[in-house]
Amino acid sequence: MKSIDDLASACIRCGFCLEACPTYRLTGEESESPRGRIYLIRNADAGRISWLDTRPHLDRCLGCRACEPACPSGVQYGALLEMARERLGTPPGERMGLAALTRPALLKTAVALGELISTDKMPSSVSLLFSEEPPTAAVPKVQAPAEWPPLLERDLPPIRGEVHLLLGCAMRVLFPRVHEATRRLLRRVGFRVTASDPGCCGALHAHAGALGDAHERVARVGTEFDGGLPIVVNSAGCGSWLKEQPEFADRVCDLSEFLLREGLVEALAAGPGLPITATYHDACHLAHGQGIRAEPRELLAAIPGATWVPLADSDTCCGSAGIYNLTQPTLARRLLDRKWKAVEATGSRIVVLGNPGCHAWLAQAARERGDRITVVHTAEMLEASFSGWFE
Amino acid sequence: MPTRDALVDAMERLVGADAVLSQPGALKAYDCDAYSLDRATPRVVVLPSSREQVRDIVRWCLDADVPFTPRGAGTGLSGGAMDALGGVILSSKRLNRILDIDVPNRRLWAQAGAVNLHLTQAVEADRLHFAPDPSSQSVCTLGGNIAENSGGPHTLKYGVTAQHILALTLVDPDGEIITLEAGGPGFDFVSLVVGSEGTLGIVTDAWVRLTPTPEAVRTALIAFPTVAGASQAVAAIIASGVIPAALEMMDRQILAALRAAFGLDYPEGTDALLLVECDGCDADEVDAEMAVAASIANDQGALQVQIAHTRAERAALWTARKKGIGAMGWIAPTIITHDGVIPRSKLPEMLEFVATVAEEHGLMVANLFHAGDGNLHPCIAFDDRDPAQVEAVIEAGEKILRRCIELGGSVSGEHGIGVEKIDLLQEMFTADDLRLQADAKRIFNKGGLCNACKVLPNQKGCLEHRRRWRGVAT
Repeated sequence: MKSIDDLASACIRCGFCLEACPTYRLTGEESESPRGRIYLIRNADAGRISWLDTRPHLDRCLGCRACEPACPSGVQYGALLEMARERLGTPPGERMGLAALTRPALLKTAVALGELISTDKMPSSVSLLFSEEPPTAAVPKVQAPAEWPPLLERDLPPIRGEVHLLLGCAMRVLFPRVHEATRRLLRRVGFRVTASDPGCCGALHAHAGALGDAHERVARVGTEFDGGLPIVVNSAGCGSWLKEQPEFADRVCDLSEFLLREGLVEALAAGPGLPITATYHDACHLAHGQGIRAEPRELLAAIPGATWVPLADSDTCCGSAGIYNLTQPTLARRLLDRKWKAVEATGSRIVVLGNPGCHAWLAQAARERGDRITVVHTAEMLEASFSGWFE
Repeated sequence: MPTRDALVDAMERLVGADAVLSQPGALKAYDCDAYSLDRATPRVVVLPSSREQVRDIVRWCLDADVPFTPRGAGTGLSGGAMDALGGVILSSKRLNRILDIDVPNRRLWAQAGAVNLHLTQAVEADRLHFAPDPSSQSVCTLGGNIAENSGGPHTLKYGVTAQHILALTLVDPDGEIITLEAGGPGFDFVSLVVGSEGTLGIVTDAWVRLTPTPEAVRTALIAFPTVAGASQAVAAIIASGVIPAALEMMDRQILAALRAAFGLDYPEGTDALLLVECDGCDADEVDAEMAVAASIANDQGALQVQIAHTRAERAALWTARKKGIGAMGWIAPTIITHDGVIPRSKLPEMLEFVATVAEEHGLMVANLFHAGDGNLHPCIAFDDRDPAQVEAVIEAGEKILRRCIELGGSVSGEHGIGVEKIDLLQEMFTADDLRLQADAKRIFNKGGLCNACKVLPNQKGCLEHRRRWRGVAT
């Protein structure tokens, strides 16, 4: 196990990460940059400054890891940040936020309560737990089920294997349609999903520095998802975290990787397609965390009739970043506004992405601006190519 | 000196609380740039967003006798953006807009905090670019390039920053906003400011020259069994009359770092890599130039000549050069990249000397350099947690740079003097030369408050600061 000092001393202060960092680009401040944060962590670890002095700057880090691909020295920033946050301790408000998001029963109750509130805004009694700034994140909405026709066995290839599917926590409650589309797509390339269900994988805990909780949860994933079967994940943050677990990393794939490998492109080409103009947003934990950029694009490009418009700065964080939009509402809102402006500039009717955090956050932006643009997961878009649009 | 509270209050009144950093963590992050041996924590950091705000800050500092230091992205390698006397750091990072693009006249107007590469990206579609291309070009700022008179691999053919600044506006050390134009009748003050390392004022914006992007570009990466062979190839290529756009060399240690960082591999027995780039508007001519370079390389015993045919292949070959220093982070906790110049003919002799010095001090050194113009970058790897190693690194660096002077070269090609090479500057010039430079600094930077203690220290506190940091690891 590497220490904070080992990880931090890999930085040689070249600064190549600076312009990759969304918070540095917004503020221009060294202390809101990867190099600055690494330097603060290093100094706190060596006892030259107090850990408390690093807190505001580490709290403002999105954890998007855009700095990692930009780093020629191979600093493992994500891992370093998790360890530093563990050292600092997770604040109580954040712990409650994690608990609400990652316990499906709690999240369901919270969302149902949210439905009772007439406005879209989060009540300040809740938001104050996370930040003194005025809240900006709305209570997320639960997806309506798609009315897709049942799959007909005669149209499908024979079953040739099984996979585990991580149902997770937030994805399970908020985006049931994504899981439905995922199962249908897996079946379309000949795979059935097992009934194993380890629950929350602990990714959000890890990113917030609650490493004890995170490891407890991820251990359950290892035990439940046994038998050497592939572990398919359709949430970027979870996939990235699971790929960091040496016990089963080589079995984990993002849904897009798996579908591309198993021949969905050919199946798409034979299907009806979708005459629609759309754009693709790179979730941080896919693009930076897992290096997955080409796979979803290749699949989406195979949808007959669809037109793809590139999104400017497609791999810049949208500000959702776990529960960042609760803890840092002002910066998160600025990032969302930038992202949404870029989305609108594409002239697309649809924006596609592969992570529940970005999904809920961008969907809020869409609602606020009159629902002219629809936000969907890659799986939903691909399934719609076979089964038709679902609104 | 006013109290910290008074200082912070004053700055907040001038630019708003959102543009003033005074928390201890934030200030600590500004205590050095990419030269991490010399550190000093500023009392406050200010991020102005207009010329007028810069002027107001400077005037306030002059009145209150507070030193002020300009800073761009902090990628400098000689400590130029470090606030030696603990005053105000003026960050240009919120002055980062491109203000005007004039394609017909091939010029662009940008603020000092604009990123070097963004200038080129803004005019790429018009087949133009901003020629200075230091390795840090994806993050470093125009203001920093002007301060350091930055070069880059393409300096060999296109010149350094000074050749690409048409006009600039700065807040001078008396707190006046003045605009200077290059190339007009009378004294050329632009060239005095470019390369003055932020000691003659705070540049707020500049008109830069845009250079047509060559239609044809050919890049080759050539592996040699010895540094001497590669050096002879460099001399022979220049002697043949070909002027490559870039001529860069990397030694065995850099190759080891590249292997660790990017899995790049080179032929067995490679001791030096030479990157040759030829460009121009006529593809046949450029091909012919490249053929000459390749044949010279083969005559000098090259093990392999890789020529890039596409843009992507070219970018892949350039990885070896542009990310070579950064890749050193894979094999060392800390590095110091030195910058010396020697006559091209002395390359093999100099490299041997560098290797000997490193060995004497028990240090690992890698060399990556602009071979075409004899600009050497010995990159020393060490662990800054060990005070003895820090001492050794400083000594070894000074020996190397002294040797550059002895061989008829210079102690800096493009990284500047900053705080790092103040003593060596004294050895390079005669007393008369130094007096003349000191006079210029005294005339244009009267109280010495503007980027105090850099290049030619003339403040009381500078000696004290110098004593404090020399040899202190933490």
